[in-house]
Amino acid sequence: MSSSVDTQGIDKVRDWILGRHPDRTELAPDVNIIENRLVDSLAFVELVYAIEDASGREIDFDAIDVEDFQSLATIERAFFS
Amino acid sequence: MVSEVIDRSARFHGILDRLTEKSIDDYYNPYRLFEWPEQLPEDMWWMSPELTTTHGTEIADRLGREQLYALSRQESINFYSLNVHGIRELLVEVVNRIHTKGFETPSEFFHHFIGEENEHMWFFAEFCLRYGNGKMYRQPAVTGGPAPSREVESLLVFARIMIFEELVDHFNSTMAADDRLHETIRAINRIHHQDESRHIAFGRELVQLLFDEVRRTASNTELDDISRYVRRYMTHSFESLYHPQVYRDAGLDNPHEVRRALLESDARARAEETTFRKTSKFLRKTGILR
Repeated sequence: MSSSVDTQGIDKVRDWILGRHPDRTELAPDVNIIENRLVDSLAFVELVYAIEDASGREIDFDAIDVEDFQSLATIERAFFS
Repeated sequence: MVSEVIDRSARFHGILDRLTEKSIDDYYNPYRLFEWPEQLPEDMWWMSPELTTTHGTEIADRLGREQLYALSRQESINFYSLNVHGIRELLVEVVNRIHTKGFETPSEFFHHFIGEENEHMWFFAEFCLRYGNGKMYRQPAVTGGPAPSREVESLLVFARIMIFEELVDHFNSTMAADDRLHETIRAINRIHHQDESRHIAFGRELVQLLFDEVRRTASNTELDDISRYVRRYMTHSFESLYHPQVYRDAGLDNPHEVRRALLESDARARAEETTFRKTSKFLRKTGILR
């Protein structure tokens, strides 16, 4: 039950990223979204809010580890497991 | 070289001398200047209602007076928190450049800028700590931008500083003149507005010079990238006023949904345009915004 909820959460994050890039239809879990500039420094805050909204968890902005935000896989591990 | 452009500009030298002199003449002790009452009354606006993020939206229509006051309270704490952390970030950039190659000429003014910004950071933090239950709101950090060279990097740093200062100044000048607000709130906004008018004048001159230098050698694509980044940065700065934790702390349900609805509202687009009217005009005139 909880895994289906979690999958829905990461799907929302994927949809949010894809929504910003209409030229893309897919985003594999291991694609580095920072290096590929799918999320740049100005969009980062919105990514964090999208994750908060999808996970229902508040993120401590003082303790952000950029490594957690590299790909859908790392986001899922850090915020949806 | 940036320093050559700066040194060639007699106008910039004249302005720097005038602003430095004014900083010395207007110098004050912020630690003694303000009256800090034990508490500020909760049954009044802490931020001009027209500046709050729900103004002119259906969400504001649904809220009672007490909840609107609570929202203005939290939004004011977010506004001063943005100031604290915005100043902290810009100080790092200016401290990194003072007395380094290329910035020899403005370094004298940088001393005043750093000193004054530190004092602003103090009184904004003091406000949050005294009246915001010791809380300061944070935003996920922003660093970098399209920087193919050191010159472009400096241009974007000082453009960001200028945009941030002009955004804040719009709020400061409005709140300083708003007699619905408590005198302590009006005073910190008034003092900040006075100092910032110097910093903004300096920022515009420096940004213009840095851009003239960048434009000499930049490709069309690079200039497009700069324009796009600056435009996005303006929206990004404005959207930092819309903080989900503020809505939650003011007792609103579904804070992320509230934020999304507000960002998509016509009221937000109008407010952003009004706030940056002069900034956009300046940036278009320089050619930074294309």
